[in-house]
Amino acid sequence: MTEFGNLVLSGLTSGAIYAVLAVCLALWFRVANMLNLAAGDFAMIGALGVDLLVRVHGWNLGLSILAILVVIALVAFAYDFVVLRIAVDWGRAQEGIVAIFFFTFALSFVLEGIAQQVFGTVVHAAPALWPGNALDFHGLHVQRAGVLVIGFALVVGVGLALCLRFTLVGKAMAACGENPIGARIVGIDSRRFRRAIFVLTAVLAGVFGILGSPITGFVYNSGAGLGLSGVVAAAFAGFTRPGRAVAAGLSIGLLESFLSGYVNTAYGETLLYGVLAAVMLFRPQLMGLPEVAR
Amino acid sequence: MVRFQETSSGEGPVALAVSELSVTYGDFVAVERASFRVTEGECVAIVGPNGNGKSSIAMAVAGLANRRGVVELFGEVAPANDPMWMVSRGLVLIPERRQLFPNLSVLDNITLGCYAWTRSLRSALRSEAVSEALEFFPQLGPRLRQKAGTLSGGEQQMVALARGMASRPRVLVIDEPCLGLAEAVSRRLYQVLAAMNRQGRTIVLVEENPVRALELSHQVVRVQNGVTVEVSRPARAADRSGGA
Repeated sequence: MTEFGNLVLSGLTSGAIYAVLAVCLALWFRVANMLNLAAGDFAMIGALGVDLLVRVHGWNLGLSILAILVVIALVAFAYDFVVLRIAVDWGRAQEGIVAIFFFTFALSFVLEGIAQQVFGTVVHAAPALWPGNALDFHGLHVQRAGVLVIGFALVVGVGLALCLRFTLVGKAMAACGENPIGARIVGIDSRRFRRAIFVLTAVLAGVFGILGSPITGFVYNSGAGLGLSGVVAAAFAGFTRPGRAVAAGLSIGLLESFLSGYVNTAYGETLLYGVLAAVMLFRPQLMGLPEVAR
Repeated sequence: MVRFQETSSGEGPVALAVSELSVTYGDFVAVERASFRVTEGECVAIVGPNGNGKSSIAMAVAGLANRRGVVELFGEVAPANDPMWMVSRGLVLIPERRQLFPNLSVLDNITLGCYAWTRSLRSALRSEAVSEALEFFPQLGPRLRQKAGTLSGGEQQMVALARGMASRPRVLVIDEPCLGLAEAVSRRLYQVLAAMNRQGRTIVLVEENPVRALELSHQVVRVQNGVTVEVSRPARAADRSGGA
């Protein structure tokens, strides 16, 4: 029973990491029809940036967090203002696969390169916001940073899902991704939404990096792998539903944990992707994608 | 090419004045120096064969196509390429092919029309604009929770019109409202347009079928090869038959 409980806790912890990144991806995809493959890199910058300011430069923790989040917001804003505006808004707009993947994939590499120069190649983590040993309830262990990340994932996922469902601004966000021309016709500035949500999700990823980095530690190239795990969880939310993305992220984490714990430790991840592929093949409606009539 | 010199013979304040409007797509000239003006409360039809620039005029006036020339709305010069400016001042486009949000519900589609004047879902849902739009199309009532993309063509056109009405339009620009619809549905839509016009809304109607357009219009702008070749004020069928 204790083993089961611990598998659930570790599954929820890693699942919450997938969930946060999936929320960032799903929300922006819903608005802009593009995948934010740099979300993991913003998380990495959050963690390593705060670490650099506190550990090396001796800044106060709160001030460091604020400063790094402002930097992340500015980088995201500048990226949209320069690159996406030229690529997507100007006369020769890029559409389809190029727009969906390429521009944020390139951003991911750029951020990684800069991070390598600024932060070096050693694993670090932001100072724990809730310091202390792992929590222990009758043999059940959970890291304090893990609790923070699970809470953050739930708050963000549920909050955004409610916002999309029950506010006109949330519906306007959905409208931007559904039909950008239709959105402009009813007076929704879809470009401004795209920019605002890109900045928002970058900052959310940064907050996640700061909260969660004590779990595993981050290095300059941690972002790409994190981003990919977010893509997988977001896929099970049809790339568009933040609430469902949290559920998908947590379920994938749990599944991964059970497969590693009960079936085979070495092949946990291999089995996980096998199961996920089978689900996509035979139960695609679980992914929430609109059905295509044939 | 003949270029029409615009004259205003309608009475009352001008709602929309278009002068020397040109629209080009790359090297292709879709509209060349089109000019016309629409008096408040009247219905103007833009007629002409397909592919002659009628829709481009509608898109450019609404701020959705690159244009040169001057568009004035209630005396204010409109910035080019700014549909948000147009919508917030009461010019609402109901485009060809409707441009709905297919995976959102019918009700969401209609309430998003209210984004022109509010950010509050509660005031949108309680607004007279939405209830009036739904009154015009009672057949949408049972389908409000359904995804808009699953409706028939005629019903989707009704959603597009209802969404336009929810925007509290002062000028409605409607592009080919009856394209691909059954005759009975088209007649119903025209009845609704006539009713909107009677309520004092200015209507700019882009229509390939001039006979139908003449039923409703005070003024007819004929477009050929992207040029306004004629502006006339025929007697409306509606007026001839003793009022619509």
